[in-house]
Amino acid sequence: MKRNSKWRKILFLPAMVFLTVQMSMTVHANQATSYTYAADEDKNWERTQDAYLPDKTVTELGLSSPEDLFIDEDNMLYIADTGNRRVVKYDIGAGRVAGILENSEMTGPRGVYVTEDGDIYVADTSAKAVLIFDREFHLIHKLTRPDAPIFADTNYEPKRVAVDGGGNVYLIGEGVYNGVIQLAKTGEFLGYFAVNDADLTFSQRLQQMLFTRAQLANLIDINPTVFANVFVDRDGVVYTATSGTHLNGMKKHSTNGGNMFKTAVWSYDNLTDVYVDASGLIYTCSANGYINIYSKSGEEIFSFGSYVTTVDISGLFTSLPSLAVDMDGNIWAVDGTKGYLQSFKPTEYAQTVYMAMNLYEEGRYEEAMSKWNDVLRLNQMSVLAHNGVGKAYLHAEEYGASLEHFKVANNKEYYSQSFWEVRNMWLQKWLGPILGIVAGLLVLKKIIREVDKRHGSRLAGLKRKAGENAGKIPVWKDIRYALRTPRHPMDCYYEIRRHRQGSVLSAAVIYILFFIDFMAYKTAKGFIYQTVKVEDMDIGSFVLGFFVLLGLFIICNYLVTSINDGDGTFRQIFMIPAYGLMPAMIALLVVTCVSYGLTYNESFLLTLVLLIGIVWSIITVFIGLQTVHDYTFGETIKSILLTVVFMVIVAVIGVIISIMWNSLYTFLISVGKEMIQNVL
Amino acid sequence: MFYKQMKRYKGVLLALIPALGFGMFPMNANAYVATNRDTKTAPEKAEYTPDEHEDYELLLETGTVRYYWREDRDILAVVDKQTGYCIKTGADLPFSGEVKDAVKKLEKEGASNAEILEAAESYADDLNSTYVGIANSLITLEYYDSDKIKYISSASEDDAESELEKLEEGKYCLNIRFRKPEVQMKLYFTLLEDSIDYYIPCGEMSGSGLNSLAAIDITPFLGASGGRMNVMNPDTMEWETEDAYRVPGYVLVPDGSGSLIRFVDNTSVFNAYEGDVYGKDFATESSYSIGYFDDVPVKNPVMPVFGIAHGNGQMAFAAWANQGAEYMDIVVNPDGTKATTYTWAYPRFELNVNYYQLYDEQGSGFFKQMDEIYHYDIDMTYAFLFGDGSDGTPAADYTGMARVYRQYLLNTGELTLRQPEREEIPIRLDFIMADSKSGIVGNTRVEMTTTADVEDILNRVMEGGITNINSGLIGWQKGGESLSRPYQMKFSGAVGSKKDFKRLIEEFGEKGVDVSLSRDVITINRKMLNYYDTAVKCISNWYLSIDKSVILPDNVPTSLFSYATPEKTAKWIGQLADGISAFSGSLTLTEMPHTLTSHWSRDGVVTSLTDAVEMYRNILSEVRQETALNLENPNSYLWKYTDRYLQAPVGSSQFIFETDAVPFLQMVLHGTMEMYAPYANFSFYTQDSILRMIDYNVFPSFILSREPSYKLGDTFSANYYSTEYTLYEELIGNVYGQINEILRQVQGYEWTGRSVPEDGVVINTYQSGEKVCYIVINYTEHEVSYQGTTVMPESAAVVGKE
Repeated sequence: MKRNSKWRKILFLPAMVFLTVQMSMTVHANQATSYTYAADEDKNWERTQDAYLPDKTVTELGLSSPEDLFIDEDNMLYIADTGNRRVVKYDIGAGRVAGILENSEMTGPRGVYVTEDGDIYVADTSAKAVLIFDREFHLIHKLTRPDAPIFADTNYEPKRVAVDGGGNVYLIGEGVYNGVIQLAKTGEFLGYFAVNDADLTFSQRLQQMLFTRAQLANLIDINPTVFANVFVDRDGVVYTATSGTHLNGMKKHSTNGGNMFKTAVWSYDNLTDVYVDASGLIYTCSANGYINIYSKSGEEIFSFGSYVTTVDISGLFTSLPSLAVDMDGNIWAVDGTKGYLQSFKPTEYAQTVYMAMNLYEEGRYEEAMSKWNDVLRLNQMSVLAHNGVGKAYLHAEEYGASLEHFKVANNKEYYSQSFWEVRNMWLQKWLGPILGIVAGLLVLKKIIREVDKRHGSRLAGLKRKAGENAGKIPVWKDIRYALRTPRHPMDCYYEIRRHRQGSVLSAAVIYILFFIDFMAYKTAKGFIYQTVKVEDMDIGSFVLGFFVLLGLFIICNYLVTSINDGDGTFRQIFMIPAYGLMPAMIALLVVTCVSYGLTYNESFLLTLVLLIGIVWSIITVFIGLQTVHDYTFGETIKSILLTVVFMVIVAVIGVIISIMWNSLYTFLISVGKEMIQNVL
Repeated sequence: MFYKQMKRYKGVLLALIPALGFGMFPMNANAYVATNRDTKTAPEKAEYTPDEHEDYELLLETGTVRYYWREDRDILAVVDKQTGYCIKTGADLPFSGEVKDAVKKLEKEGASNAEILEAAESYADDLNSTYVGIANSLITLEYYDSDKIKYISSASEDDAESELEKLEEGKYCLNIRFRKPEVQMKLYFTLLEDSIDYYIPCGEMSGSGLNSLAAIDITPFLGASGGRMNVMNPDTMEWETEDAYRVPGYVLVPDGSGSLIRFVDNTSVFNAYEGDVYGKDFATESSYSIGYFDDVPVKNPVMPVFGIAHGNGQMAFAAWANQGAEYMDIVVNPDGTKATTYTWAYPRFELNVNYYQLYDEQGSGFFKQMDEIYHYDIDMTYAFLFGDGSDGTPAADYTGMARVYRQYLLNTGELTLRQPEREEIPIRLDFIMADSKSGIVGNTRVEMTTTADVEDILNRVMEGGITNINSGLIGWQKGGESLSRPYQMKFSGAVGSKKDFKRLIEEFGEKGVDVSLSRDVITINRKMLNYYDTAVKCISNWYLSIDKSVILPDNVPTSLFSYATPEKTAKWIGQLADGISAFSGSLTLTEMPHTLTSHWSRDGVVTSLTDAVEMYRNILSEVRQETALNLENPNSYLWKYTDRYLQAPVGSSQFIFETDAVPFLQMVLHGTMEMYAPYANFSFYTQDSILRMIDYNVFPSFILSREPSYKLGDTFSANYYSTEYTLYEELIGNVYGQINEILRQVQGYEWTGRSVPEDGVVINTYQSGEKVCYIVINYTEHEVSYQGTTVMPESAAVVGKE
């Protein structure tokens, strides 16, 4: 799964692409300032229709290094304005400041959370406390360092805070690696709610396995990745964001602190915040300005944002420490360096996607399908929507209709389910007539044969004669011989050894036919079994790989056997693999054809056919080598192993020569350019 | 001169002002929170006290203004004779050292407080002596000191001297001698009725430091607002710091359709706005290799104009380049940038570039500048505007700026007024015919729409009642848009033969529907053709490389592109025009109209930007004699040859310090060509978008196909997420219907004014002879009433039309 394809691409850009470019481009997305990405059918991030558009930019609040945002039930946005030692309450509906929370005890507010009752919890690193204020901004309580002995050696500098319905407080503490600090309403330390695993490198894992306890004690401490933020939704479910990892950076915790996501969720590795809206959608942001949206179950929906430092544009951030989501689904984010608020409005596209997902989760499949169709109107490439429509059709037992959508979404599992049903119906409808036709044909054949017998077997004679004539066509004769070889390998290869059968031309034709067959297998299987799209294949590497490997084998085997008393000539060695390829060739052909009619359930059949074909071919070629070179079993094994070793050596030498040639070429070009530049 | 030309609007504007005052009231109090995509209400009135200009010498008095000159600081002051409001070319600040020395000397001499106070001129707290020089100067030079850019100004304390020479009445020459770097230059300026023309001939620049120059900045602090001053307190006789009066007003920049940067006190420090007129010249960027990333590229200015307005209809100017536009940047430093509390804006003319000279593909090289600077003359006009427009002259705001700039373009023949041929507004329906994706061997064509499909779809649209249609066919060549050579006339057989295309175009031509072939004649790739003698070579002598791998699907045939040289592009346009002239009356060009690059070889520049502009103008002038031209977001040097302006920006790039978006571009071009909005398919079909199209007076456009667009998923056109006609049949009717209903009523009218009585409500004034009407656009969620007409929430209405 290539979750980070765009980063991968960037890494491959030439090293000197270092400037941020402002270039002209056809105006499509009229208001968007960054592209939106969604997972495509191969789980890569690909560009999609805009999901969110930058909406309001609020620069006049005078924020200084703000670090955290929260939106309460009244649609009031609270900003931990760290640099100004205050919390700003901003009325989203009216677009103005609704209050400023300042208190002499509040010296470094870095996290803010507001309960349903309206109590404002402020995590204050500098005051080393969680300050709790009522709606009128009166300080009503203060959670200072817990006095539990188990907590004695732990740093207590609350950085982020969240509170569940029962009043339990979840804290991210500065410099605390043990996990999320959980306090009771009274401030009593309840333990570490969730713990991250330490990411060990390969050498660290080895050390863990092999070192003694004393040796391990001498090593530098290996700390787990640190939680960056914590959030509790209105149902009391705890979510955390962890920086420093691409997988499992965002977690949804069960009551015992475990991760509820079945598969690892991909995220940017510098997550700073996680937020969950009333419908259960999960939003994360990363320090370098990206915002991701996930479904309840952690499925990636959208990603947008960009890392730009040379221009100040709405929707792009110099640093992005926090985000929150208001009652209308608008995302609010804050620039930690430049101190302004930015809201993002979901487009009709995003809203329709969310609606369709909710309807589907509620089991309202028909309504969901209608919404998914709306999504498709806006983006016909939406994998989510094609999957949604396909599943809705599947539930409605309209299997035929679902196939096309699963195909576009590349959802082979569901396609297979639908296809099974379609095939079943087809078989129910046509099995009788087909069996009837087959039986009829068999009977007809029998009758013709009987009639022919009575009339002097003219037809049988003609058939025999046609076979004999065909046997006289040189290449065709040899190909027929190749069909015979796997059944009688020793006899056939003996004939080849005696120069009585086989030809180089026929072998070449067989290789070409095999390659065509192989390419058909690679590129033209039924949808369910065609795992790689033709557009994604590098055909050149197939051609090169196939013929180079074959050529290498033949040459190396010739070289190895000629110094090891092998009897086979170069021409014969060239022919050996060709005459043994038929089983594999037939298996590939059968698998390619049959793959159109089978579902996942029957995949073992294809595997079996392929296995038989390949093993048969290998055995045939092995016998061929043994027979032609007049080797014993042991000598054959030895010669094959030597051939492989020799092939590896040749390949390595080839790579070295290629690298040296490239260096030489570059050197010569540089010298040439230098001469042109300075001499001529 | 502009004053007289604008007198004819007097009646309209007189009618408008009272109408605004009394006609409008909200029906309920739901607030509309405006964003930087809206235009907000006009700024407050600027407070001012008419000055005596004691330290100034009167240079010229015209019917409208008085021009004064301050020799010691190189400042021109322009004073509105009617109101006494004054705009100066510099901040008019003393050097702090001079003031302090003078005060110290007086104190030492035991002078009286009154004498000391007289000498204690307020000086800038946040500007050092270099910046005070810049703030006062008529000319500031940027020069390279190694790889870094430094500044030196004509009003520098020690590093330059200047002398004003009168040539004739109203014509002057400022002779400037810069000491380090050693440069001599002449700035000619002509004082006109209500405008100043600056002219810098490159032939008269000399000196040993000439080739180290990076750029020339003209009057960097003209109309600037802000500042923090050290003022001597008369009671305590101590220096105290206080913020200078911040003039209410804004800078207009041609970002997208136009954008305002209001003078506000920013608490954050932002990067400056640097609008590269006509886009960056990629051939002279520091690297030959350029990549797209996740951020949408900013919109480049398509015209060399900017302006500053002070107060609410009090004094403003619009400034544009008559020569040198292709090397011009429009720079705005919002309050907070460069550690100053001023918002200042100026034109910057680039003379040299710093680039990375590569040796090899591994990236070894070094930074260097060109041995010789660019040679071109600079000519800038500053037109001053006064009052709120009630006297018939262009108002001192962005609408007035648009009107004077438009008048200039009309006067110079760059624009020509034309009457619409039909009563109904037009709609643009483009078709994606085919594109390419990777195949088993080579590439496979993906056919999306055939000529028969186009015929069918257009007929269905016409049956639906829309008759004023024009259309462009994209990807008509063999190989589709991305892999076919731009100039080749080989038709993609599967979507239609040459005969089919000919028949289609002719058939619809008879029905009054202009169907044209569309082509990007500048973007090339190595799968399309060989770069040798075709692709632009950068200043470093490497082929320009544009990497789109981040924004294209993984499996497209190639993600590396380049631009064709201007010469080839011009040649191909000619070839295409020749090829289609037998059957098509128009040609659609994409990318090229807003792309301008130079072309280099190891001997230096082969095609300069000025040459490229000339080449493009020549070929389009020639082509247009036979063929109408539909150009995608064309730069201003092509407006003369543009019949249809496609993909007109509606809004700005949304820089954070941009406070408003305005239809400046549309006001300049209205009535001279048809202007079309970006494709409505992509996030531009909502009610708000429809209203914006009405507000900006742009016509709707769609891109369509017969086949579902997921087939384009692995092609270069994968960003056309939704194009299938059946999905848009209804939407096309709806969007067109709403816009046509309003805009057809002002077809043939001139757009003369635009005002915002409250956030979310816009009134556009249109005039035809004596007839005046208004389009009221109500973006809010409440009803508004204007001159007795109620405008429903999120809708628009025409008021005052019989």
